[in-house]
Parts: sequence; C-alpha cells; structure tokens
Amino acid sequence: MIEIAQLLVFGVVLGGIIALGAVGVSLLFGILRFAHFAHGDMMTLGAYIAFFFAATLGLPLYFAFPIAIVATIAIAVAIDQVLYRRLRRTAPVILLFSSFGMALILRSVVEMIFGPDTVVYDNAIRLPWTVAGLRIKPDHVVILAGTALLVAALHLFLRHTRTGKAMRAMADDPDLARVSGINTERVIVWTWVIGGGLAAAAGMFLALDTRLVPLMGWHILLPVFAAAILGGIGNPYGAILGGLAIGIATELSTLILPPVYKPAVAFLVIVAMLIWRPTGLFAGR
Amino acid sequence: MSLLRATGIHAGYGGADILRGAELEVAANEIAVIVGPNGAGKSTLMKAVFGLAAVREGSITFDGSAITNHAPDRLVRGGLSYVPQERNVFASLTVSENLDMGAFTRRDDTTADRERIFSIFPDLADKRRQPAGQLSGGQRQMVAIGRALMVRPRLLMLDEPTAGLSPKFVDQIFERIAAIRDEGVAVLMVEQNARRALHAADRGFVLVNGQTRFADTGDALLRNREVAEAFLGGAGP
Amino acid sequence: MELPGLLSFLVFFVTFAGLYGVFALGLNVQWGISGQFNLGVHAFWAVGAYTSAILTTEPGGAHLGGFGLPMIAGLAAAMILCALLAVLVGLITVNLRTDYLAIATIGIAEVVRLVLKNEAWLTNGVRGIPGIPRPFAELGGDAPALVFLAIVALALGLVYAALEILRRSPWGRVQRALREDEAAAGAAGKNVTGFRLQSFVLGAAIMGLGGGLYAHFFAFISPEAFDPLITTFVVWVMLIAGGSGNNLGAVVGAFVIWGIWSGSGFLTELLPIEFQTRAGSLRILLIGILLQIILLTRPEGLIPEETAPRRKSGGG
Repeated sequence: MIEIAQLLVFGVVLGGIIALGAVGVSLLFGILRFAHFAHGDMMTLGAYIAFFFAATLGLPLYFAFPIAIVATIAIAVAIDQVLYRRLRRTAPVILLFSSFGMALILRSVVEMIFGPDTVVYDNAIRLPWTVAGLRIKPDHVVILAGTALLVAALHLFLRHTRTGKAMRAMADDPDLARVSGINTERVIVWTWVIGGGLAAAAGMFLALDTRLVPLMGWHILLPVFAAAILGGIGNPYGAILGGLAIGIATELSTLILPPVYKPAVAFLVIVAMLIWRPTGLFAGR
Repeated sequence: MSLLRATGIHAGYGGADILRGAELEVAANEIAVIVGPNGAGKSTLMKAVFGLAAVREGSITFDGSAITNHAPDRLVRGGLSYVPQERNVFASLTVSENLDMGAFTRRDDTTADRERIFSIFPDLADKRRQPAGQLSGGQRQMVAIGRALMVRPRLLMLDEPTAGLSPKFVDQIFERIAAIRDEGVAVLMVEQNARRALHAADRGFVLVNGQTRFADTGDALLRNREVAEAFLGGAGP
Repeated sequence: MELPGLLSFLVFFVTFAGLYGVFALGLNVQWGISGQFNLGVHAFWAVGAYTSAILTTEPGGAHLGGFGLPMIAGLAAAMILCALLAVLVGLITVNLRTDYLAIATIGIAEVVRLVLKNEAWLTNGVRGIPGIPRPFAELGGDAPALVFLAIVALALGLVYAALEILRRSPWGRVQRALREDEAAAGAAGKNVTGFRLQSFVLGAAIMGLGGGLYAHFFAFISPEAFDPLITTFVVWVMLIAGGSGNNLGAVVGAFVIWGIWSGSGFLTELLPIEFQTRAGSLRILLIGILLQIILLTRPEGLIPEETAPRRKSGGG
C-alpha cells in the first residue's frame, strides 16, 4: 500500500511536468492546427539555458529559471515569425515536418554547445524528507508548487484576460474567431509565448527531478502528446488532467511491467485513445 | 444612399467561379434579403463581401470606400459584421464570453452593450454562464447574432439565420431582426425561407446561377409572377 | 585485390547511398503513393536488420540465433517480418489523419526500440550482434566491398523496376485515384483501408530489405545504430529533397543528401581538434537548416511530381 502511495507521489510529480508540456502542445495543436514535434526539444532548450545561467554563470537557480523562461519564449516566437509563419499557408504536412526538423536543430545546437554528456544543475545532495512513510525530495515540492502556480496563472489568463479568451475562442473555432474580428496573428504569438514559457518550465523541472541530457525532451515528447490527445486537443484543462493521468499511469505501471518499459505506457494510451476516442476524454473540440 | 454596394461580382473558392456578375445594394436602416434556388451562390455572395471568397472581378464598396477582398478583421473594425450559417458560436465558451469575443476589436467598456443584447434576446439572460454548446439551436442562433451585434455594426450580415429552427424560433428571429433594423442597424440576409423573408424585407435580390436576376422591394418580388413561378412554388403571394 | 583510397571511398559512398535509396523508395511507397506520414522508419530498419542478423549468424552468442542461414534467406525473412509488423501497425494507423499517424508511428518505433534494447535473450541487448556474415568475405582485400556494391545496386534496381511497374499497373492507378479524391474512390466501391494497408505493408517490406542489407554491410548492429536521427530523419530529408511522390526523386534525393552529409563530414574534419567531438551535432544542424530552406523555397523537391497529393491532414 505504501508502495503505491510512493509511486503516486512520483506519478504526480512526473504528471505535473508532462502537464506543463501538454498544455502548450494542446493549445498549439488547437490554434495552429499542427502537431509541434519540436516541443520536447524546446523543453530541453529551456532546461539548458537555465543550466547555462546557473552552472556556468553561477547565478542562483531562482534567478536562472525566470531568465530561461523569457529566453525560451523569445526563441519560440522568433522561430514562429521567421519560419512557421511562412509555412502556414502551405500544406499542413510541411509544417509538421518543419517542426520535426526544428526539433533536431534545437537538439543539435544544445549538444554542440553543452556536449552529449549528462549534467546536473548542482551537485548538492538533498536528502529526501520522510512524510507519513513516504519519501519526498525537496525538489519534488519545488516542482509541485511551481506547476501549481503556473497552472493557476494560466487559468487566470485564459478566463479573465481578453487575449486568453480569444485564445480559447481560436482553439474552439479558428474560422469563427477570424470572422469575429479577432486578431489571429496576435493570438498566435501569445500562444507561442504560453507554449514556449510552459515548455521551458517543464524542461527545468524535468532536469531538476532527473538530470540534463540532450535527448531529455525528445524522450518525454510522446507522453506529452499522449496527455494532449487524452485531454482533447485544444483543451488546456484537459491537457493538465491528461498529464497527471499519464504521469501516474507511467509510475504505477512499474507494478506490473519492468521499469524499462515505462515509456511504452504513454504509447499504449495514445493507441487506445486513437482507436477508441480520438477527440479525447473531455472532447476539447 | 446605399451603405453597401456590390457590382459585377465574379467570385469563387479556387475552381470555377460560382458568382458570375452578381450584384446587390443595401441602404442604411433597411433589411435586404438574398433569395434563390439551391446552388445559386447566395452564401458565396455574402462570403465574397466579407472577404471569405476570392473576388476576381467586380467591386464592393461600403459607405463609399472600396472593401473588395479585405480581410475579415479589417471589415469588422469598419462596421461590418457577419454570422455564418453553421458553427457560428464558440461552443466551449459561455454565452457571456461569446459576446465578449464579438467585442474583441473594441477597447471601451462593453457591459452596457452586453446588457442590451440580453434585452434583445431575453431567453439568454439567465444562461449567460452556460457554455454555448449546451444551448438549443434557436438559442445558439441568438448567441451568434448577439456576438455579431457586440461590435455595434452598421451592417449585419446573416447567412440563413432560421435554418433548422422550430417555427417558434423562426418567428422570434424575424421579429428580432426587425427590431435590430429599427434600432438603426442595416441587415443583409440570405434566406432559404424565401416567401417569409421577402415579406419581412425592404429589398430583395433573387440570385439564379450566380447572377442577380431580380432586384426590387420585398413586396414587389412577392407579387412578381416570374419570381413566384421560378421557385416560390406557385403563383402569387 | 586492393583499391586506391579514393576509389575505395567511392565504393563505400555509392553502396551506402544505394542502401539509403532502398529506404527512400520504401518510404515513397507509403508517403508518395498513399500519403502515410511514417515517422517510425527506424523501427522497420531495425527489425529488418535484426531479423537477418539473427538468422545468419553462427551459434555462440548468448542470444537467439546461430541458425547460420545464407544471406538471401535472412533478407527474405527480414522482408516478411517487416511486412507482418506493418500489418499490425497498419491496423492501428492506416485510417488516422496525418499528424496522429505520425505520432503513432513514433510511438511504435519507440516500443520496438525498447524491446530491442532490453530483451537481451533475443537481441543481445545493448551489446549488439557482431559477426554478421558478409558475402564472399573470404575473397579478401576490397573484393567483398565491390561484391556488396553489386548486390546493393541489384537490390536497388529490382525495387525501382518493380515500383515503376506497379505505378503503371491497375493497382497503381487505383492508388492514384484514392490519393486524388478519397471520398469518390470510396463511393466507387474501392476498399480504401485495404489499399492503404497494402501500400504501407509493401513500403515496410522494402525497408526490411534495406535493413537486412544494412546489417550485412556493417557486420555488426546494436540498438544505437537505429537512432531516429540518422535513419528516419535523413531518409525523410532525402525523400523531400529529391521530390516526394516519385521513385526517381527518392533515389536522386538519397544520393544528393548522402553526398551533402559525407561532404559535411569532410568539412568538419578540417575543424580544430576541440570541435571534433561536436562535429556530429554540427552536421545534423546543417542538414536540419538545409531541410528548412528546402521547405521554404522548393518543397516539391528536385524532381517534382506532376500533381501534388491532397491528403487528409491536420485541418480536420
């Protein structure tokens, strides 16, 4: 019983990370109508930018994190304006493939600058706390608190700001949004701001929970897509729940599967959803 | 003095032109309807005005200035508003939020306008926090029209506003449209329900095969035997 | 016999380019003919390679194997196994819209990769399978390389000819009609799902052939060799650069991109030593940027097709 509770703790932490990535993917999928294959590597980028400011420049992590978020947002918007924007009017597969290529570009830049080996933010050993028989690392608390804060901020943005509502409208029906007079290009830029920022945060939390390695984002891309599909494309709240579900399912799977097959759980969820309910559990659009 | 004028329109969606010399004219403070057989290009004409179908020949002016092939958000800022036939509400947004989206281009406080919409469509008043997707067809149509009114347009364009609605709602919609006209907003409608529409209209245009075959007041068209035979189904009003 | 260095390199270059050509042709069957966006090429590549390796190596490893069958049997088995895998995969993916299909194929490839890496009883895990026989290895010198070049050229030629014949056949015409207007073809009574599955399976079998040849070319395989970067991604760039949708474009693209890749290898060798370790990433970066430039300026590739395909895609 305590083992299951422990796995649940791990699952919620992982789930929070996946959720942050999935929200971005879901909004981009819903508003821009394409699967952003570079999202995982955008998470990698955010994590490594933070690493640069923290480990290389010696800034404390709570400075490095916001800087990395801003930097990643800037890069995400730039990529869209320079590249994806020009490809928007072509066939959707071209955009899809461009993002696949972008994933490799981002990854190779990271690998070129930082090398292929594993690194960590700092080597301090932080002993886990024991709470009610459960082991909880201090990093876990940071991740959970950070995720909760970002989700709350996102909620406020989507529910109470003009741009946030316009974003939900565009995810719901881009054609009607255009007809209503919504400035679609501006909403698109804001979508990249949110997507890029949350991806950076997810990457940094992932690095905090595990470590930094150039392929880290690519390996979590599948769970992120699974969560977005599970929650319903275009539905950011569904994506959050989907992320938690995938994270918990992945950790609990170790009760019956060898741990090396954890990544397969996300894939199984994807297959199940695509066959059974492609619109997602919460039918976003 | 005409508010909207479209002359010699040739337009389509990429293949052959659907409109081949269509025309219409709407004056301020009037209801104009476009009627015609299926496939005549009624919706296409409306979309051509709103920049959703490529106009290859001809000109469209609004309040004297050219608006041919302008982008939708520019037209909205200029005083034009459009309600598509299908998928015309944001299903996952609440009624209130749908109205907010209509007012996106406005920077001022829109609360008064929102309340006005609720007074035009009282059925919606107690549903303002409900997601629009949960409403009935008729209520959704009201939300759609309300959304388009939020920007205080001078011309409201409706594509088949009564399609698929129960008779009770059809009556209500026609009633509301008349009230909207009386408040100073010109209305251009495409309607399948030709007889009913021409009855309510100040002016009508009969579109056949992409061209405007008849243009006259609503009553005159109703009395016109040719029009009646063509597709009103029998002679006389 | 021994070849001078440059000639020896050319033999290697043409052989590997030809190998990639086989993969590009296989992918073209899936993409060009029936518009299925397969991002899991490396799964079929790996399954083909491992199948042939397991069947042709001598006994002695801690893993399944030791059948010592001739290469031709290994290659045939590779094609059959990939075809079977494609049937399983296809049943899930064949009717998905493009972006979902891409995601699903990535997932499948990931599962295959996990199995290959962790089921050591089957594949010897991360240690890989050494000692895969090269035909006529006993001839010594550079002769086996020339023989293998001939084998790859033969395989490429046969696949190309077969696909060209198929293209002009009634089957090919139906596939083209399906691509142009799926709704109409379906209404006309054609089994859309069946045809799409057939092309998916055929493409996979061709990839299996390529994978098998790959294993015999390098004599040693391990899960690392099937990294999606140098497999799936590069083959896709080849197909897009050469002109997706036509077989000649696929082969031309393979040679051109492989040429650029090898050329970039030469350039990075000129870099100072400190940068050498990062050279691999730099080359990937260059290919990635090249891809974006192609997509922006000439997405139809070097040898464009007459009519562009209209596929079910992300718009819904």
